[in-house]
Amino acid sequence: MITQRLLNALGGRILWVAAILIAVAILVPASNLLLPVGHPLRVPNYMVALLGKYLTYAMLALALDLVWGYVGILSLGHGAFFALGGYAMGMYLMRQIGDRGVYANPDLPDFMVFLNWQELPWYWWGFDQFWFAMLMVMLVPGLLAFVFGWFAFRSRVTGVYLSIITQAMTYALMLSFFRNDMGFGGNNGLTDFKDILGYPIQATGTRATLFAITALALAASLLICSAITRSKLGKVMVAVRDAESRTRFIGYRPEYVKLFAFVVSAVIAGIAGALYVPQVGIINPGEFAPANSIEVVVWTAIGGRGTLFGPIIGAVLVNYAKSWFTAAYPELWLFALGGLFVAVTLFLPRGIVGAIGQLRHYWRSRSARDEGGAPPETPETEQVAAEKTVRARSTAASPVLGAAKPQPAE
Amino acid sequence: MPHVAPLCPAGHLPHKGGDQPAGYSSPISDVGRKAITSKLLISPLVGEMSGRTEGGNVGRILLQLIALFAALFLALTPAHAQSVEELVRQLPEGSYSDRGKIVAQLAATGDVRLVPLLEALAAGELNVVEETGQVVTTAPSGDTVRLTDALTAETAGEASKGAVVRIRVNNSLRRAVRAAIGQLTLMSDSAATRRSAAEAMFNAAEPDNLALLDEALAQEEHAGVRRTMEQARAASILKTDASAEQIAEAVDTISARGDRAALGILTAMLGQADDDVRPAIQEGIKAIEAHLALLDVGQNVWYGISLGSVLLLAAIGLAITFGVMGVINMAHGEMVMIGAYTTFVVQNIVRTSFPGLFEWTLAFALPVAFLVTALIGIAIERGIIRWLYGRPLETLLATWGLSLIIQQAVRSIFGASNREVGNPTWMSGSFDFYGIAMTWNRFWIVVFALAVFAILLVVMKRTALGLQMRAVTQNRRMASSMGIRTPWVDALTFGLGSGIAGLAGVALSQIDNVSPNLGQGYIIDSFMVVVFGGVGNLWGTLVGALTLGVVNKFLEPYAGAVLAKILVLVFIILFIQKRPRGLFALKGRAVEA
Amino acid sequence: MPRTDTILYLDGVSVAFDGFKAINNLSLVLDKGEMRAIIGPNGAGKTTMMDIITGKTKPDTGEVFFNGSIDLTRHDEADIATMGIGRKFQKPTVFESHTVEDNLLLALKGQRGIFPTLFHRKSSEEEERIGEILATIRLEGRRSDFAENLSHGQKQWLEIGMLLAQDPKLLLVDEPVAGMTDAETAETARLLREIALTHSVVVVEHDMQFVRELDVKVTCLHEGSVLSEGSLDFVSSDERVVEVYLGR
Repeated sequence: MITQRLLNALGGRILWVAAILIAVAILVPASNLLLPVGHPLRVPNYMVALLGKYLTYAMLALALDLVWGYVGILSLGHGAFFALGGYAMGMYLMRQIGDRGVYANPDLPDFMVFLNWQELPWYWWGFDQFWFAMLMVMLVPGLLAFVFGWFAFRSRVTGVYLSIITQAMTYALMLSFFRNDMGFGGNNGLTDFKDILGYPIQATGTRATLFAITALALAASLLICSAITRSKLGKVMVAVRDAESRTRFIGYRPEYVKLFAFVVSAVIAGIAGALYVPQVGIINPGEFAPANSIEVVVWTAIGGRGTLFGPIIGAVLVNYAKSWFTAAYPELWLFALGGLFVAVTLFLPRGIVGAIGQLRHYWRSRSARDEGGAPPETPETEQVAAEKTVRARSTAASPVLGAAKPQPAE
Repeated sequence: MPHVAPLCPAGHLPHKGGDQPAGYSSPISDVGRKAITSKLLISPLVGEMSGRTEGGNVGRILLQLIALFAALFLALTPAHAQSVEELVRQLPEGSYSDRGKIVAQLAATGDVRLVPLLEALAAGELNVVEETGQVVTTAPSGDTVRLTDALTAETAGEASKGAVVRIRVNNSLRRAVRAAIGQLTLMSDSAATRRSAAEAMFNAAEPDNLALLDEALAQEEHAGVRRTMEQARAASILKTDASAEQIAEAVDTISARGDRAALGILTAMLGQADDDVRPAIQEGIKAIEAHLALLDVGQNVWYGISLGSVLLLAAIGLAITFGVMGVINMAHGEMVMIGAYTTFVVQNIVRTSFPGLFEWTLAFALPVAFLVTALIGIAIERGIIRWLYGRPLETLLATWGLSLIIQQAVRSIFGASNREVGNPTWMSGSFDFYGIAMTWNRFWIVVFALAVFAILLVVMKRTALGLQMRAVTQNRRMASSMGIRTPWVDALTFGLGSGIAGLAGVALSQIDNVSPNLGQGYIIDSFMVVVFGGVGNLWGTLVGALTLGVVNKFLEPYAGAVLAKILVLVFIILFIQKRPRGLFALKGRAVEA
Repeated sequence: MPRTDTILYLDGVSVAFDGFKAINNLSLVLDKGEMRAIIGPNGAGKTTMMDIITGKTKPDTGEVFFNGSIDLTRHDEADIATMGIGRKFQKPTVFESHTVEDNLLLALKGQRGIFPTLFHRKSSEEEERIGEILATIRLEGRRSDFAENLSHGQKQWLEIGMLLAQDPKLLLVDEPVAGMTDAETAETARLLREIALTHSVVVVEHDMQFVRELDVKVTCLHEGSVLSEGSLDFVSSDERVVEVYLGR
């Protein structure tokens, strides 16, 4: 009974994906640690780190999809939440270096000694405690999203305008973090980490564990997002996306619905960033670059927005392609990425997942017709729902055009 | 004319007079010069005083006269027709006094090329190559010395150290040289040269200059140069033991100048001034400081307008496409970049094929850049954007993808490094506008931005295309049912917007690095301008651009450039909350739909 | 008439957009339980009046009271909706990517907060109520279909169904029969009359046949103010109304 309810709440398909992720979380580290070096089935060390990075990106894409695919907020600043989470983790890792830095100062990170700072700024207090840092990983992005969203959504900034000011937000943060005075390492960011919770950060075991945690965190985020989108609130979210003012006239407050999704999404993005930093070994202001945030959008679009595993597939695929291209044909990568942006918006508006669903739907109705039977009633499969949501999305976007395409009102 | 020196009858100096050509080698002008100088003959007695070498005003003036006399004397001898080159060759020969005569003759030629030569002579750095008699400056290079022709500044090979001999100077010759330099500069034909000479004397004031300045003032007709000379004279007076009255007068003259140099002179003076002149100086300082504060504001406004005009150029095309079509063109910055590269290509063609037309490069580049970017814009619209109407967020993504492709394409063709686009002379240098320093390129860009804005305004208000564009902006469906071919209007609008971005690129190539990343630097700022100004309103874009520019520049002195930019961004983010549709938003039911 | 007995009370309301007076000194009173038809040529201010009542547009001057005592100008759309004013739009706006059932579920009276919605579980009463409404609007057979696949008339009905699900005290219905067949129109009139038994209703409509079928008091708006008010026969014989509709 309870399991049945859980299944309903989460969606069977999503449970499968989550199960696969959990299996990955166990198998990849196991193969890396247990099998001997050179074994054909062993996942090499670099691959563990690489896959771990992909999965944090997948988490970021999932977070973006929650607001973009389901509430229609195209955030061009989600990289900011990711980076803030990353910085919070980076600050913890910096404090863990202790007196092993170049200047061997037990209290101050190297860059502060270099800048002749005498004491730790107040906003660094507490980051030597893991629990506090983890709290901040969620709190800082969440709070920023809350404040930003509170103002933006309440004053009904929508569509392209919202996208532009989210971009301005991450741009402003990037410029701020580049400043040495900010106390976050300026240009160089935070790096040269030594250990995490006492375990050396470069060790194979630590890396495998970080990978497992990332995969589990992704599975958990997936389940949470699924639960949200399948709840009544999830339906309200889609309603807000498709016809915002209509939801107002039946008594919902779209600004709060958006705010909720935005904050949850920012927290997930922050956690993703926090998992990213120890696996990559550095966080710098470049992570705030607007271009990064837009790239996340294309992962999501390619995988299929408005579906929950689309962004995961998209993030992994695009980043795999990026790794391959930058090794094989570095000068062609931007052509490929740019081409992807154009091609996906023109030819694959529902992304890969949406397109597969459409194709399956098409084949099913065709085979049904071939058998002479009436076309079956559209079953409410995930893909069909997805493709419908995406189709509706495009119309939902049109209020944005307000000034450009006013509808005759009478 | 109160400052005329007693011993210098007005207009007696040779080679001065606005209408005389500067050419020194022309026999005609030589004749002219001769004619003038011959009228100026004073007394040959002055020559007898050449032995006096003591400093002081009188001595200086006498020396001048000696030099003059010598010049006249030589001018009247058969040797007078000698060219500058020949005179220079004679320089190493003879005694100090012979040299003095030659220096005076050189001064009389009015050839400004002589200034560095004479300076080298005074500094004792002038040498002669014994074998050839060539007058050179030297620079040590290992065992040998590198030679540079002192007159032409061309390299003249190397020689062993022993092969060159220094041309010796003594104090009296040095004075003669300095007088000659003053004569060449302070009494040059070119007002600009005279002004800069006076300016130099202002900055390095010394009592010795007084006589020279007085002479120059006596015949100076150009009001601006006169003012500078009087200021230089006042600064020199402050260095003498002049009476309190004179000092007060000089302080007035200097404080009227109102710049930092004047402030520096007065402040330095304050410390050593007598009590009776102190209040006058303090007052002068106060007046200058007030003036400077005002200038600061003016300067910031100018910087702000300058930045604002750049923003305007970058944003205005975006405002059109966004306003009319609701399309966010993320590749807009790349259109700017293409415009800049077009300028680069056009300039290269001009340089190699028509070097004489270099000054006109920008005039050629403007139409070419407009056409190139407009065509690319139309191609983008027809190829991609028209499939995405009604889906602005998708358009945003597709055009972002395009911007990546364009950037990478340009990087592949032209390389990733900066390309050099030269400034024509009329865009180089700077000028002073009531104490506000302006560079010509910034000035022309402001003019250009306003011109583009005005033309666009006319296009929008007075042409059929403009009318149709406005119709489509206000009510697309109605416009199309009125028989306006909206797809056509869309394509042309996009072409126009992109073309203007191309024009912006031509302008920006003059002040920014032409690199594949050029456009990226402007795209976010341009959006801010459009969003701040309000969509569908050109005036909004103008006001938005100038406001953001000025605000940014006023914040910079207090917050630093980066923080100022951050503050402006935060301000816009907050502003959008308050007025979600910008400063000049369309109102009414239509916008909500 | 004392204000306290009214469900809707507009007095001296004006609103201008860029100098254009969309509503000009409009006064309108609706009794509790009354159904009122509002007619008027294009641009008469009908939709703007609805916008003012539902809180979308704030009037420049004038009083707007709901249920005798609630000042509507101080509340926003969501507040007004939860207080009991439901609105059907001129252009049918249903949630196209939701099923018919979900559309009704979203509209059902209940808590609108974030967390109650997040943890909401469909109760049997709600299930029952949805069934009733589906029967009323004759969409039982299409319960699980996506709303975007409905015909135009069905969407209109679904929207009326959503109004019913909200269970408001006052319904504002903007052109409910636009684009409907005659049979559908008659059916809609019947449905509205039925609703009017238990609710106060304002219907904006162009279709005179439909207005006649409703058989209620009619208000004719012109240039933002009331031109004529009374029975349909009275209003349609008013010379000024004729002039406005037919031109001079």
